[in-house]
Amino acid sequence: MAATIEFIRKIIENLNGYGFPVLLLFIGVLEFSFGLYKGKWPKNERWVDIACFIVVPLVVRPAFGLFGLKVLPALLPAYKNLFSWVPVFWGVAIIAVADDLTQYWYHRLHHQIPWLWRFHRTHHSASYMGMAMANRQNLIYTIFFSQVYLTTALVYLGLGVPAIIVGVIKGAITTLAHSSIPWDKPLYKYKVLHPIAWVLERTISTPATHHAHHAASTDDGIGYYKGNFGNMFFLWDIIFGTALITRQYPKAYGISHYRGDQWYAQLLWPIFKSKVEGSELAVAGPMVLINIDKEENAHDHPQVNENKPALVAVQI
Amino acid sequence: MKIDPATKKQITKNVALSLLIYALPIVLMFVTFSVNGQKPWEKKTVKKENIKSIINKSNITNGSND
Repeated sequence: MAATIEFIRKIIENLNGYGFPVLLLFIGVLEFSFGLYKGKWPKNERWVDIACFIVVPLVVRPAFGLFGLKVLPALLPAYKNLFSWVPVFWGVAIIAVADDLTQYWYHRLHHQIPWLWRFHRTHHSASYMGMAMANRQNLIYTIFFSQVYLTTALVYLGLGVPAIIVGVIKGAITTLAHSSIPWDKPLYKYKVLHPIAWVLERTISTPATHHAHHAASTDDGIGYYKGNFGNMFFLWDIIFGTALITRQYPKAYGISHYRGDQWYAQLLWPIFKSKVEGSELAVAGPMVLINIDKEENAHDHPQVNENKPALVAVQI
Repeated sequence: MKIDPATKKQITKNVALSLLIYALPIVLMFVTFSVNGQKPWEKKTVKKENIKSIINKSNITNGSND
């Protein structure tokens, strides 16, 4: 019995380590094989995706490691493994809620407070969904990922195994929600599966609900970048009134006024600025630009966004 | 920054609800312990003492790792 538990533990640990890059690669190959990007992976975007994929983990993982191995033992030397008696089931429940609800608020605030939007903009500038853009983030946004520090603290307090289990489940759900493979489509197509769809789409992030969050427009009644903020659990959007479920996929993704900011500006804004005139990431660029439908000609009249930031509109 | 009363009320409601959700699994865990008469934190202390008594100097951690 002990040997079986040890075997399962090793599988989960490996999944948490190199398992996800392998999963990303596997799904990525599938996406390209089926032509799901429809030729929408321009050179500039390729550089952004690759730079984020390589640089962000190189910097962020040591930072999180330093916090867990040096900062916490120095701050709380007597508390190491204090709660290691917590049963795995309850540890999983505690970490799942603590980690994912914190991320929901971190994510939502980056959409609702104009000052924070530019740190999260890189994740939304891709005009496609899929493994290529799943890890596309500004470095500053990732380094302040508040839920990771909370989860690292809980690991230090003795909830290591539950954290690994939650990490594997959450990684799988968020990866599949970003994928351009609409695995949830059959659930909406066949009537017999509708009850499963009803429960699933209210509980976890699915391609339909998360793709809506990445839509370029809200005008079609499908896209909803003003909500659907949940990462692992969609339940937070239901509880806090930010959910939109349509069981459909948007026609266009990204930011309608996006003009291809350089990879270094997207990775490291505000340290490096964009050379694209009028961009939110350019020197003296506006905090938030209006999100105009891609079909319209938005070049000549950039406007203040009164929709994207819920709290304040900023004058250009 | 001035916040209008409706937004202020919404923020207060969201903060209160979030704190309740954060606490929920911890509260439920202790309710379960109470119903089943379990005290796993006491078990941990006993287990620790037993482990210390059987670990010898040949162990790589010399028994200092808990």
